[in-house]
Amino acid sequence: MSQLSYGHINDTVVQSMEPPGRSWLVSMVLILGALSMGVFAWTYQIRHGLEWSGINQSISWGIYITNFVFWIGIGHAGTLISAVLYLVRAPFRNSIYRASEAMTVFAVMTAGLFPIIHLGRAWFAYWLVPYPNQRMLWVNFKSPLLWDVFAISTYMSVSIAFFILGLIPDLAAVRDESKGVKRFFYRVASLGFRGTNHQWLHYMRGYLLFAAIATPLVFSVHSIVSWDFAMSSVPGWHSTIFAPYFVAGAIFSGCAMVLTIMIPLRKAFPGFSEIIQVKHLEGMGKMIVFTSLIVTYSYGVEFFTAYYSGARYEKALFWFRPFGEMKWFFWLMVFCNCLIPLSLFVKKIRTSIPALFVISILVNVGMWLERFNIVGTSLAHGFVPFAWSTYQFEWVEIWITIGSFGWFFMWFFIFVKIMPSIAVAEMKETLLPPFRKKR
Amino acid sequence: MRRKFCGAWATFEFLDDTCDVIRELRNLGFNKITTHTPCPRHEIEHALGNPQSRVPFFTLVGAMLGFGLAVLIITKMSLDWILPVSGKPVVSVPIMGPIAFELSVLMAIFFTAGAIALLIIRDTLRHAVPKSRKYREYNRFMRDRFGVVVACDENELPRIEQIMKRYEAEEVNCEK
Repeated sequence: MSQLSYGHINDTVVQSMEPPGRSWLVSMVLILGALSMGVFAWTYQIRHGLEWSGINQSISWGIYITNFVFWIGIGHAGTLISAVLYLVRAPFRNSIYRASEAMTVFAVMTAGLFPIIHLGRAWFAYWLVPYPNQRMLWVNFKSPLLWDVFAISTYMSVSIAFFILGLIPDLAAVRDESKGVKRFFYRVASLGFRGTNHQWLHYMRGYLLFAAIATPLVFSVHSIVSWDFAMSSVPGWHSTIFAPYFVAGAIFSGCAMVLTIMIPLRKAFPGFSEIIQVKHLEGMGKMIVFTSLIVTYSYGVEFFTAYYSGARYEKALFWFRPFGEMKWFFWLMVFCNCLIPLSLFVKKIRTSIPALFVISILVNVGMWLERFNIVGTSLAHGFVPFAWSTYQFEWVEIWITIGSFGWFFMWFFIFVKIMPSIAVAEMKETLLPPFRKKR
Repeated sequence: MRRKFCGAWATFEFLDDTCDVIRELRNLGFNKITTHTPCPRHEIEHALGNPQSRVPFFTLVGAMLGFGLAVLIITKMSLDWILPVSGKPVVSVPIMGPIAFELSVLMAIFFTAGAIALLIIRDTLRHAVPKSRKYREYNRFMRDRFGVVVACDENELPRIEQIMKRYEAEEVNCEK
């Protein structure tokens, strides 16, 4: 860090925003290909109906709700890093928080699509919102699904506001390094910010308040998502540990996604390796291993409660998960979420970038499987044996899922080229300022 | 409209020089000071006498408004369209919790963002800055330079210039 200077940070960030090269364009073509297939599959589903997704009579929440919970979880790391780690002044936060925040915004944008896709008749999505209508018919405030509408829309609004607020000084820095049309664009976007004491005073106080307000929001949103399940009486869902378990899982998957994104970003822009240092990635590795232990503990507690309470439906379900027809999902989840992260206790692995990248991808896979286990296996093995069933994946939902990754990465790739993907002002704050007198 | 500016502005390479010049100017009674820094620095805030922001007041108002709004809409809408669910009361207090929390957060955030903008505009209007093209187009304040702008009477300009040069200002510009 000592060789970095204020000017060097500006230069590195501005360099990353130069016109895209061949690798960016090739990646974008692949991303848009995936997105197009996703759009095609969704169009097909709208035309032919939800029977083309894998959901059936008993498993009426399938891949779409799994994807929804998965993407909301991914969206948690950004606010965690930008708000919670800001309040506790974690030193590894500054270099990675901007990209994580962008990840949050795009992940929540992706998550928000899935309840709409799951509705089938997407054009009636506005029925979820309480709006004045001719029949004076209002939404059901007693349903956790409605709380979720409020939680997700608030979370999205706050994430976007936090993201934009953090960007303003950095856009001003980019403006001063740009010329022509680019300068005009950044001048408008930076809202006349020039780093005066009056601007910093209110900005920093407001930023601190944003962080303080966003912190409980991180916990509330995934708690409310968990209540979509826990407030019902379905075996495997009706559990009091769901809220903390979901929050820990969301942080776990979000941190893994941060590494999945930051490691290629660091490789793509050579100057970034000086700013995003191995010790910062190692910090994320430590977060992953810590949250992995919480998640593993939660899995254990669920099984123990089912066994020791003697509740027969719970016992049956928790027998079905590891030994039933859908056991592969469970064991793969245990392997990815409980066993693989333990390797991060070894410093050599925690500081190896290829190892971190592979582990982060496996954790992402594991966390998707965790959500599928919660959604799919619980509904597959409910109260009535007559209604037991299994899940058949359909091409439509698979392509919509792949398309969602295309949608997410499309925004991220655009972001890294038009916005500073490193927080310029906050990185400067971490440096020793230029002093004439030696300190 | 911004007021006419009469005063001086200077740029500095080092933070300690900037803080020293601010302290000296304040000791001499020049309180209309605007500084420029590439990132927020507490040293500058201390030199300026630790000014306080009123943003938290607006945040609190926003949060309370959001809470009230949530209670109001849930009560009104539940009474308008009665939906009996699992024997719960028509207007159920516990169910207000999540929505009241979310709306409190949402309104608090909107009010905070609005307050930041409003207070910055107010302070910028109160503290006149140079109108010259050179000042407006100086593009190193957000990069690696510190700036000090002081509003003063025309007859004070030579004195200010002298002070700034004594603290190794890179350049000093007087405007009237």
